[in-house]
Amino acid sequence: MTHRISRRSVLAGGAALLSYSALAPRAFSQEARLRLLWWGSQTRADRTNKVSELFKKANPGVAINGEFLGWSDYWPRLATQVAGGNAPDVIQMDYRYIVEYARRGALAPLDSYLGSVLKVEDFDQVQIKGGSVDGKLYGISLGANSTAMMVNTVAFEEAGVDLPTPSTTWDELARMGLEITKAGKRKGYYGLSDGSGVEPLLENWLRQRGKALFTADGKIAYDANDGAEWFAMWQKMREDKACVPADIQALDQFNIETSPLSLGKAATSYAHSNQLVGYQAINKDKIVLRSHALINKDAKGGHYRKPSMFFSVSAKSSDPELGAKYVNFFVKDPEAAKILGVERGVPESASVREALAPSLDDLGRAALEYVSGLGALVGDLPPPPPSGAGEAELALRSVAEQVAFGQLDAKQGGETLVNEVTQILSRG
Amino acid sequence: MAAVQDSAVVVGAGAQVRPAAQGRWASIWAKHGAGYMFLLPWLIGFFGLTLGPAVASLYLSFTSFDLIRAPEWVGTANYVRIATADPKFAAAMQVTFLYVVLSVPFKLSFALLVAILLDRGVRGLTVYRAIFYLPSLLGGSVAIAVLWRQLFAGDGLINSLLAQFGIEGPSWISHPNYSIWTLVVLSVWQFGSPMIIFLAGLRQIPTDMYEAASLDGASKFRQFYKITLPLLTPVIFFNAVVQTIDAFKAFTPAFIISGGTGGPINSTLFYTLYLYQEAFGNFRMGYASALAWILVLIIALFTAFSFLTSRYWVHYDD
Repeated sequence: MTHRISRRSVLAGGAALLSYSALAPRAFSQEARLRLLWWGSQTRADRTNKVSELFKKANPGVAINGEFLGWSDYWPRLATQVAGGNAPDVIQMDYRYIVEYARRGALAPLDSYLGSVLKVEDFDQVQIKGGSVDGKLYGISLGANSTAMMVNTVAFEEAGVDLPTPSTTWDELARMGLEITKAGKRKGYYGLSDGSGVEPLLENWLRQRGKALFTADGKIAYDANDGAEWFAMWQKMREDKACVPADIQALDQFNIETSPLSLGKAATSYAHSNQLVGYQAINKDKIVLRSHALINKDAKGGHYRKPSMFFSVSAKSSDPELGAKYVNFFVKDPEAAKILGVERGVPESASVREALAPSLDDLGRAALEYVSGLGALVGDLPPPPPSGAGEAELALRSVAEQVAFGQLDAKQGGETLVNEVTQILSRG
Repeated sequence: MAAVQDSAVVVGAGAQVRPAAQGRWASIWAKHGAGYMFLLPWLIGFFGLTLGPAVASLYLSFTSFDLIRAPEWVGTANYVRIATADPKFAAAMQVTFLYVVLSVPFKLSFALLVAILLDRGVRGLTVYRAIFYLPSLLGGSVAIAVLWRQLFAGDGLINSLLAQFGIEGPSWISHPNYSIWTLVVLSVWQFGSPMIIFLAGLRQIPTDMYEAASLDGASKFRQFYKITLPLLTPVIFFNAVVQTIDAFKAFTPAFIISGGTGGPINSTLFYTLYLYQEAFGNFRMGYASALAWILVLIIALFTAFSFLTSRYWVHYDD
């Protein structure tokens, strides 16, 4: 009935024609529909939507609805949708949450599509394992990255300090920070950001000491002594003014825009390699990536190649195979790779990396070279963080602030941190 | 015909009631039906969006619910943990009470002061009223909280002003000793809505009382103390209750200024912010529901306390 009426109105006039064509794809001729959800910036959204267009062209009759949010709004939205039984078909998933979602039955295991729909044979096997929970594959890595120090080259140059190298130790880095602060070339400027509350940085430091944040069975993997030494190291840098004071560091909301580096307060910041693009976009001075400092000259590096994020398929998806097909297109199609660049991290597929390299801009190439050039600094991928890891990260931040503002000394800080994290993990 | 009579006999006593009852409902409907139809959108909203979720959250507060798996009944475990084993709950309580105790009296005093100044027949009163009311409309918004963050940051406007006098201010919003004060100032700045109500209250006070008092030689201060304040107590009472409830529920400014962390060192961890963290940060919906009901209880107690004590200081015109 309505069908016929709309057909008549097509003949009636131009405006109606427009509305008809807008309604038409919904009304009929639609075989399959995919819903995507991811977190990230507008740049990422533009790139993702372009790839979706390509996929639609290669697969006529498929409609794709993509939606994106910022990181902190993303997880409430996803959890609510999953709870309401209307989860998106393809879900961007983080290493931190994949275990929780997989164990709660929200994600579809992808093993049966391996080799047929998912052609990820040339992926680094470590990264395939990274997307597995309890022996089943729940996420396809969209790229690798590693933690990194963002360095403002101009500020170093102004102060006459050489840039850190892969063999720079923490002692040397502290001295560099001190020199930049002392040089006083910029108003209210310090050498280093205070990294005492930055979890990936603590993890790097712990790994150099042969420890880790969490054990494979989800317990804390360092002790109060480690914590105390960590806080003492930063305490000394604060006292020396090698790094920013507590009330400046506390402005950092752990995103690119509010880091002391971006606020023009310090010459370094601690982040992930794929964020270089974002850092450079809002900083006038040239920013480069450097590996984290070493605890001593002979120390092994604490870095690892981390899956920056995954695509997972919802367990409730009406067409999980189509979802898997989309994911495969996303990580393997050469045209898609050119659109995506290294914005989500360095592609896992060797062939895609090769195809991509010539078309990358300077920033993309810098990120790619950083991640593939870490060499001996790279170790094994740690097990996925247990549930409660997000809370543990907030606890580190809070204890670090208590030490920085002088409410706890370094030793008490180490004890408090270990107590709080142990309690959080036991609650799960 | 006979059938009708029969059924009337069979139904007996009931039949005598029913037509009457039907008639009553019909007449109620005829009288008030239109009113209820107009109320319908509100009724749907109230039952569907307020009462329904509230009942659901009461149930959830006795469960462990992570949003993904079905809720699991845990009895009073959530409430026990709140009462005995949650240091963050205590921290959030402390911050929230401090905020209520600081912001409500400051805000009301300021609102009253401005209302009295405006009441003195200022030219262009409506314009001032609008201007002063504006922050109340904007104050809860994200944009203002962001602006506040800019004002009170280390190199923000406030410190630039202080620097003119040679004072080097700290980064107000990111120092645990000061951060709560910036939120209090933000709240006081939104004095518009209690101010408008005070203004209306002031207009109710008969001017001949002031005239009589000044003929008797009462000073302006004495007039304020003996006439304005007592006659204004019902309005003060109303404003105090409403603002206290509002202050308990404050969320947006702390969320924006601390980036959702309640930091530095939990100094801006408002109760609602902690509730939000538990619900949407740690996916403990059951626990967050229990926290929400504790807040309901606290607000109810505060309001009841205000009403009970009001008879001793609120004077109604009689």
